[in-house]
Amino acid sequence: MASKQKKMTPQQKNYQTLQQKHELKRPVLKNCIKAFLVGGLICLIGQAVSYFYIYYFNFTEQNVGNPTVATMVFFSMLLTGFGVYDHIGQFAGAGSAVPVTGFGNSVISAAIEHRTEGFVLGVGGNMFKLAGSVILFGVFSAFVVALIKTLLVMWGVL
Amino acid sequence: MKAAYQMIVSMSLLFLTACTQDQPVKESQMALMKTTNPAPLSTKRKKNVDRVEDIKRDVSSLPELYDVAVIKGDKDTLVVYKVKHMHRFKMKTIEKNLNKKLEKKHPKENFTVSSDYKIFLESVRLNEKMKSGKLSHSKAEKRLEEIVKMTEDMK
Repeated sequence: MASKQKKMTPQQKNYQTLQQKHELKRPVLKNCIKAFLVGGLICLIGQAVSYFYIYYFNFTEQNVGNPTVATMVFFSMLLTGFGVYDHIGQFAGAGSAVPVTGFGNSVISAAIEHRTEGFVLGVGGNMFKLAGSVILFGVFSAFVVALIKTLLVMWGVL
Repeated sequence: MKAAYQMIVSMSLLFLTACTQDQPVKESQMALMKTTNPAPLSTKRKKNVDRVEDIKRDVSSLPELYDVAVIKGDKDTLVVYKVKHMHRFKMKTIEKNLNKKLEKKHPKENFTVSSDYKIFLESVRLNEKMKSGKLSHSKAEKRLEEIVKMTEDMK
């Protein structure tokens, strides 16, 4: 970086100072607070959904995560379809992308984007363009962890 | 558009508040969020309340726990508890220590220990039904066995 700056012509340096003068500063703290609040709200809704499943169905604390995740992804898919999640994403940024609801959003938004190319090659082919890597990473890391655990159990460590 | 939003919000509020009117609030409804501390119970006809209370006192004495339910049946004694938030990283150690403590103090009992919210909720519900007299001894014992089986399935 330092060597690059040395090679710059005076004109380039002038331009850089001008650009730095006019550059808008990112409100990092404000964005963090927004992400924290919206992400927390999504988690609160998730907690309420899991309590709902514990109260009214036969799910225990151990396995209530599965229907809760499915429900949250379904909610975010519906909201993406109605065009509401885009606004939430614009406001909260990572706060809406990091929770599992961001996964549903990435699937449906890609499907909507490529709808004009047909259902098979358009929707089917591009639906997992963004979320596919997440699924692959999840499945592969689960496989590796399970393999390590099996070996440790076989060797009597666990 | 704004009017439609307002209508949806007000309609859902109306429906939700209508559902909650004139309904008695049961202890089990808030069991997952509040400390209920249900009284220890026995499903046996000849109730040995002193021993059950002793068990509850022993479990409650652990500083990591804050809400304890004990139900004693013919075969099993169910002990369910909630763990304080900052101690939830050591759930397995707490369960192990509690099992050791109970087996040492009450060697004749067959304990089933759990910290699962569902098991806690079901034991509070069973407690309520037994107190209200809606459940016969045999039915209460059967339900307790079901809850114990649910706990064993989780392991």
